[in-house]
Amino acid sequence: MTEKKKEEKVYRQLESNKLLQQIMFQYMLEGHQASEENRLAWVTSGFPVEIPVAMGVGVSYPEQYGAVVGSQKVGPEVCGYAEEIGYSQELCSYARASIGSVEKPDQSPMDGLPTPQALLAGNNICGTVLRWYDAVSEQTGAPVFLFDTPPITDGQPDHHKEYVRNGLDRLVDFLGTTFNTTLTDERMHEVADLSSKALELWNKSLTACKTSPTPLNCADRFLAMAPVVSMRGTELIIDFYETLLDEVEMRVKEGLGAIRDEKIRLLWDNIPPWHSIFRFFNGLAKRGVAFPADTYTHAWSGKLKIEGEGDDLFDSVVSIYSNVYLNKGLEAKIDKMCELIDDYNLDGFVMFSVRSCKRYSLGQLVSKEIVSERTGVPGVVIEGDMVDSRVYNEAQIQTRVDALLEMFM
Amino acid sequence: MSKFGIGIDIGSTTAKGLLIDSDMKVCAKHIMLTGAAASQAIDKILEELESQSGLQLDDIAIISTGYGRARVENAEKSVTEITCHSRGVHSLNPEIRLLIDVGGQDSKVIRIGKKGRPEDFELNDKCSAGTGRFLEVMARVLGITIDELGPLALQSDSPSSISSTCTVFAESEVIGHIGAGAKPDDIAAGIHDSMATKIVALAKRVKVVPPVCVTGGVALNPAFRHYLSKHLGTELWIPEEPQFTGALGAAVIALNGKS
Amino acid sequence: MSYEGVLEQSGLGLQELVKAGEEIIGYIYPHAPLELILAHGLTPSLMRAIPGVSSGFEESLQTFACSYIRNLYNQRTNDQLPQITGLLFPSNTCDSLQNLTDIWKIRFPDDRIYRLTYPVTRYADDDSTRIYLTKELEILSKMIESTLNRPFMMDNYERAVSIIREFRHDAQFLYSARVVDPEVLSYTELSRLVRSFLTAPLVSVASEIHRVSSLVKEKMKSKGLLNIINSIMSGFQEKDFSKVKPFKRSPGPRILAVGGMVEPQAIATIINGINGVSDSIIVSDLLSFGFKSVFAPPLDKNGEPFEEMAKSILAAPGEPTQEGLQYRMRSLKDLVKALHIDGLLICEQSFCDPDQFEAPSIEKVASEAGIRTVRIPIDPELSDRARIEVKIQTFLESAGYT
Repeated sequence: MTEKKKEEKVYRQLESNKLLQQIMFQYMLEGHQASEENRLAWVTSGFPVEIPVAMGVGVSYPEQYGAVVGSQKVGPEVCGYAEEIGYSQELCSYARASIGSVEKPDQSPMDGLPTPQALLAGNNICGTVLRWYDAVSEQTGAPVFLFDTPPITDGQPDHHKEYVRNGLDRLVDFLGTTFNTTLTDERMHEVADLSSKALELWNKSLTACKTSPTPLNCADRFLAMAPVVSMRGTELIIDFYETLLDEVEMRVKEGLGAIRDEKIRLLWDNIPPWHSIFRFFNGLAKRGVAFPADTYTHAWSGKLKIEGEGDDLFDSVVSIYSNVYLNKGLEAKIDKMCELIDDYNLDGFVMFSVRSCKRYSLGQLVSKEIVSERTGVPGVVIEGDMVDSRVYNEAQIQTRVDALLEMFM
Repeated sequence: MSKFGIGIDIGSTTAKGLLIDSDMKVCAKHIMLTGAAASQAIDKILEELESQSGLQLDDIAIISTGYGRARVENAEKSVTEITCHSRGVHSLNPEIRLLIDVGGQDSKVIRIGKKGRPEDFELNDKCSAGTGRFLEVMARVLGITIDELGPLALQSDSPSSISSTCTVFAESEVIGHIGAGAKPDDIAAGIHDSMATKIVALAKRVKVVPPVCVTGGVALNPAFRHYLSKHLGTELWIPEEPQFTGALGAAVIALNGKS
Repeated sequence: MSYEGVLEQSGLGLQELVKAGEEIIGYIYPHAPLELILAHGLTPSLMRAIPGVSSGFEESLQTFACSYIRNLYNQRTNDQLPQITGLLFPSNTCDSLQNLTDIWKIRFPDDRIYRLTYPVTRYADDDSTRIYLTKELEILSKMIESTLNRPFMMDNYERAVSIIREFRHDAQFLYSARVVDPEVLSYTELSRLVRSFLTAPLVSVASEIHRVSSLVKEKMKSKGLLNIINSIMSGFQEKDFSKVKPFKRSPGPRILAVGGMVEPQAIATIINGINGVSDSIIVSDLLSFGFKSVFAPPLDKNGEPFEEMAKSILAAPGEPTQEGLQYRMRSLKDLVKALHIDGLLICEQSFCDPDQFEAPSIEKVASEAGIRTVRIPIDPELSDRARIEVKIQTFLESAGYT
């Protein structure tokens, strides 16, 4: 209790968190209802979810479920259920958490995710999702649809666009046959508008963090991003992002920071350690360290819109979903980090090397050097895992972060 | 079937030899440190078996096992310690279906079939978590001997939480607990709890089927047995001389002429 | 011959080529367009992991990068890669290789790096993947031409199509013959032959393979087994084992080595190193650098070259990415039954996503088929060799083979 009180002193709770909890609860109920009505799909975070949503298909996010497993500090147990049936501890802990929870739902948080009737995987966030969803398909019998967006190095050539576009057409067919539904232009535009609106509001809140002191800290953004990842395209979340933006703008106007006494501003790279998220960020907040920007919550900022004449919404979907952060090369990631450090006036950066996530993490040792060189600010790499606390060594991480902080003194 | 059989188990730390007769009665046995030269240990063991039993060993079949199994030149055949442990435990208690062997350098879990053959097995991976080495390192951090660690742990009723499976990580967690003023008995209990968890995870890979037997040096540690039994949810059976089960299995194979 | 011996021998062949003025394009993914590289007057050579180098990666790669890419990177930092003109990396196949390429390009900006992006074929029952890969191959060809000033020559291409077709045909025959009679040619020798060709696809190597294949064919013919072997070969080619003719199983254990980017030689060396065991227990492998390289379908000389190459690559027995788990497991189930397999050695490159994700499903298939499995985590340094040997030996003991 005493420790919690102290934390509240350094860290300002968001009023809009209450609303967040409400809509996430409602979202969970909707998932269960969709499952009962045989119209639920599990989707990856980078999937063009506007299409299933516009076709009346309910969605649940196993990655988000992994975050819940991590936050409830049962990562070792739930991942363990997957390890018991042969999945290596070296594999992605989101994947292990979801495979484990399908194996033993009654021993997993919220009794696991509601049963899916289809699995929609997009490999724009990593190649791992294919094998993961294949494994879940073997467990549940739900068919997998793969939306293939080959990685992009320099721009997106025409044959790439056409290929991805073909994938979208197949997706509409697949959903049509699997769920006996159709896609209308009208509904697609409606959903795309709602999605863009939510993203616009979200982007405004993110950009507001350029102010010093920052109105949102890392953990705030990691929680507040949940609806825009999982429910974009629905009416429900607009209200939340409006309320959040109001609160953020109010903080900016009054000069109120997310933490009481902001002294150092850092960039965060990668997924957070869900099992220790408050302990880590609030621990640093006590020492005046804020994180006004991170590469993860900024990854969901692409808005669907019709660019040129003759284009339709699907062309926009092709472009937005092929160009997500993790689908581009290391150079693009380095550019993004440098840009954030400049734009948000940051003093340094912390890179979380996540053992589970090869796509996000391999390359960090190289980008750390280059980002430091280009921006002139120091950085540190800490290693651990987002869900599996067995490979998260707090003492070792503490020492590294301390060493970084000492550079600013 | 011959009248006698000899099993020689050359482990990484100790070397064991055992001679049995056709009634499975142990006629001679010897245990010693393997040392740097396995061949010397082998000679010494054979000498001991000869003098204890008063038998001429030349005509008796020898089966070798353990990491140094290929070094036993006059063995008829070398058989892995997994098969030998399985056969050895089976000859002592045919009911046993799961064998957990935790040694100084490695640990293994073996599901034993009705005829004493391994049906499925798992070994720990390369790292030292879940082996006797883990306990040694932790005892040193607590500043006590390895023999004191188990009894100390049994005094605790609220084990500290140690979540890391990696020995190096767990070591710094233990140091953290010491720094935070946790009681040594609680930390010691947490260490055994964590070790047992790791072994149980390995066991679940091959399915936990009771009754369960525990062998290897760590089987002598009462706190480890306590937490292992708790996490497995079943009683454990421990042979009188757990360090000899491998050699015994080898001797049984030598006697029967079949693995 | 040991793993190290094979490496040394084929490395020497490559050195000779370089000395003779040939330019080499190294590739690291089994489904490379060999004909395309040869058509440009270059020699494609499969870069192998080598046991001798175990450090050098640390400043650029974390320890959880797969052991294969760590090894390749170590070779580069320690100047142990063969003398090559350029390197061809795959894209969209697995996360480790994807990121390795980016890292390599930044760390070694002077290296000539080519990248070929593979579409994920499964579920696309239209022609989009073929169109995409055809285009990617055209782009690669143009890139090679513009950077090395080596145009795509039609006569080179046609020669390449012939030599590779002949190699594949002979190697496929040898793979299929060993299924019926594993003693006819040792697994080590077959792996060595395939490896030599992939290291340097020379006419001389292809002739050696052809000679061995002809000898084996004679032997099999005299035993009246040719029809059976051909039916097995078609089974592998069509991925349909329903028409495999019944045959008498060979004595001794019949083990199939399954997994991904693991060196067949490494497996053979470990097996032969176990007391009283020989590699004739390995009836076949389904490994990337063995089976999967060999069983890609041949090209039609009269077709449009880039499209033909795309079709062949897309129809090759694939990595998990290309085929999908459900399809692969169904096919494995049929295979173990038709070929009298009674045990699976599941090889997993450490920290390899595709290998490690598939292993539990393979175990399940095996258990349903009533056969045994053992999982072998392996890295190119064979750093855990003693434990691997214990695992394999126990596996054979528990199945009652030794």
